[in-house]
Amino acid sequence: MYEFSELGWLKHVIFHPVEGFEDLRWKKKGSLKYAFIIVALLFVAMVAQERLKGFQYTEDPQKFFNVVPLIVQSVVYFATWVVGNWSICTLLDGEGTMKKVCINSAYALVPYIIGTYISVFLTNFMTLDESVWVYIFEYVGLGWSVILMIQGMRAVHQYSFSKTILSIILTLVAMLIILFLAILLISLFQQVYAFFYQIYTEITYRIRG
Amino acid sequence: MNKFKKTLSIVLAAGLVFSTTAVAASADEPYVSYNYDAWNDAIPSQSGYRVDEVVAGSSMGLDRLSDPDDELFLSEAASDSLSGASDIYYESELDEFWVADTGNNRILRLDADLNVIGAYDTVSGSDTENFSSPTGLFVAVTDDGLPLVYIADTSNARVVRAIAETSTLLTVDQEFVKPEDSALYTSSTFNPTKVLVDSTGNVYAVESSVTEGAVEFASDGEFKGFYGANRVEVTAAVVAQRVWRMFASNEQLASMERNVNVEFANFDIDSEGFIYTVTEAANTSTDAVKKLNPAGYNIWDTTTGNEYKFGDLVDFTTAEVDESFETRLTDLVISDNLVISDNMNINVLDYESGRIFQYDQENNLLFVFGSKNSTSDQEGTFTAPNAIESRGEKIYVIDGKKNDITVFTETQFGKMVHEAADLYAEGKYEEAKEPWEEVLSRDGGYWMAYMGLGKAALNEGNYEEAMDYFEYAEDNENYDKAYQYYREEFLSRHFTAIIVILLIIIVAIVVWRIIARRKKPKKKGGK
Repeated sequence: MYEFSELGWLKHVIFHPVEGFEDLRWKKKGSLKYAFIIVALLFVAMVAQERLKGFQYTEDPQKFFNVVPLIVQSVVYFATWVVGNWSICTLLDGEGTMKKVCINSAYALVPYIIGTYISVFLTNFMTLDESVWVYIFEYVGLGWSVILMIQGMRAVHQYSFSKTILSIILTLVAMLIILFLAILLISLFQQVYAFFYQIYTEITYRIRG
Repeated sequence: MNKFKKTLSIVLAAGLVFSTTAVAASADEPYVSYNYDAWNDAIPSQSGYRVDEVVAGSSMGLDRLSDPDDELFLSEAASDSLSGASDIYYESELDEFWVADTGNNRILRLDADLNVIGAYDTVSGSDTENFSSPTGLFVAVTDDGLPLVYIADTSNARVVRAIAETSTLLTVDQEFVKPEDSALYTSSTFNPTKVLVDSTGNVYAVESSVTEGAVEFASDGEFKGFYGANRVEVTAAVVAQRVWRMFASNEQLASMERNVNVEFANFDIDSEGFIYTVTEAANTSTDAVKKLNPAGYNIWDTTTGNEYKFGDLVDFTTAEVDESFETRLTDLVISDNLVISDNMNINVLDYESGRIFQYDQENNLLFVFGSKNSTSDQEGTFTAPNAIESRGEKIYVIDGKKNDITVFTETQFGKMVHEAADLYAEGKYEEAKEPWEEVLSRDGGYWMAYMGLGKAALNEGNYEEAMDYFEYAEDNENYDKAYQYYREEFLSRHFTAIIVILLIIIVAIVVWRIIARRKKPKKKGGK
């Protein structure tokens, strides 16, 4: 029935929130390559929001710019979302593979990313009185993305609506646990590293006499 | 080789000589000059004030008080130095300073150059003639041109209003004591520490034990009520207690600690009759400095006013004094900005760090100067800065432990900033442009200068320049205003060009559509 290129499929999914993801699943389409490009664009959108806004819209001008929190907020959160959702839904009889979860989640983010780009672009030409035009794109994009995300998760796991909502809430909990464990692990490894480094310095002192 | 060594040593010696003389010539201020940038970080700045002189008791001529042949003779045992002096007041009409010499239980009267011209240790016509730890005073002038002195005689639990008939004779005019019908006070808790009088003769006295505000008396001695209480600072503990109170039984409520506001420590009155109070609680953010109208209402209790910050914003440590301080504001004085106008600056003295913070009426920090004592006990540093006073462009700080008065005078830079800030406050932004540019050439980090220049450019219609200045000043609301005008101007100037470009784009799209439509049927036909 549908013969699209990869980009055509992306467009089809975004503009058909009701059955787009079902079609995607039925036709076994969706590209991991495009999913990664979308996540990269999400990161760029967050940087743009921080750095490229018109000055009148920078409410809290930063003295120093740090890119690490933005990486965490985009790439790391997305990865934990995918892993968390897959882990929860595997236990809840979901049909999606990790690859499919990744593709559907990334496709669902596109309206939010585009909305962010448009609003960042507009802040350079709008005064504060006209801020409604700036925020409408951000909020419409966000709302659209949320709808797409619910539809995408529903289609990929073949859930009912209420089960999808439940799985998303559980996914958020799982994300928290994953991030907590990750931080714990990192700090533990730091201590291990410090321990071995101390041994190394101790040995070098002894060798020198 | 030898010759080379010789010349080298000569050059080195010469260099040494020059460097030492250079150091001696540019004697540094005993404090670190800094200001706060738009991010509330302390950044180095130019000094606005420098130490002019430090006057101790001997150079005031206090030895005259123990000389029986002198007209100012008090007694053989009269000390020739200050002791724990806790207040200084400047009377502009008489051009005189009055000092509450607390430890010596006397009041000193000094001329404009801080030479003693009068001393009083008793007040005649009163039941209690001697003073006991007078800690605050206020001076007005009678119709006859005699000084009318209000003294907060702390340990005697009274405020005395007396007329200084001669240089050694004070005659009591009125005594303000604890209200008789009020069960609130016992004599031990009624201890006025600071006193202030408004233009109608009402007397306000600060009591460290009263939290309802200053005690207010009518000029005939009648107790009128309390004036201008602070609010309770909302901390986590206060909120928690508020919640607990909802569930507690009556017995528990009775045993609970009450959340009481902190009483303000000192005040000053400006020429328009507004009373400014300062609260001496460590790092208080609520009502640190208030501006009260005659009804006792804080006119800074607004959305902007509640954002006002006084004292150090961050824990600021200097290399000279290797400690960090918490801010404890002890006194403030309203100083006239300049002769141009009657704008007033607010000088707040921080007891803990010995710093004086000077603000304009909009809470813009102009200068930070002064310092706590360093180990080397440098001239112009403080141990116990008790009170601050101003006369013209000079600021006087009295130290209760070093027993001297430090005189600060404004520097060239300070004068420039004052002139610019004055014009700025008047709304004369274009006139203020030149002094602000001068200020910036000396201190490129001076935040207010960018604001001033931005507003000047905005008024002159240089919107792009104004946008640049507001961006430096990190003020996005004024930037927005400038941008709005800039955009309007841009659109009207390039109106034809914009229309032409739009038309070209529309035509291009139409043409492209037509071409695309012609190609399509061919494709279909091909299939």
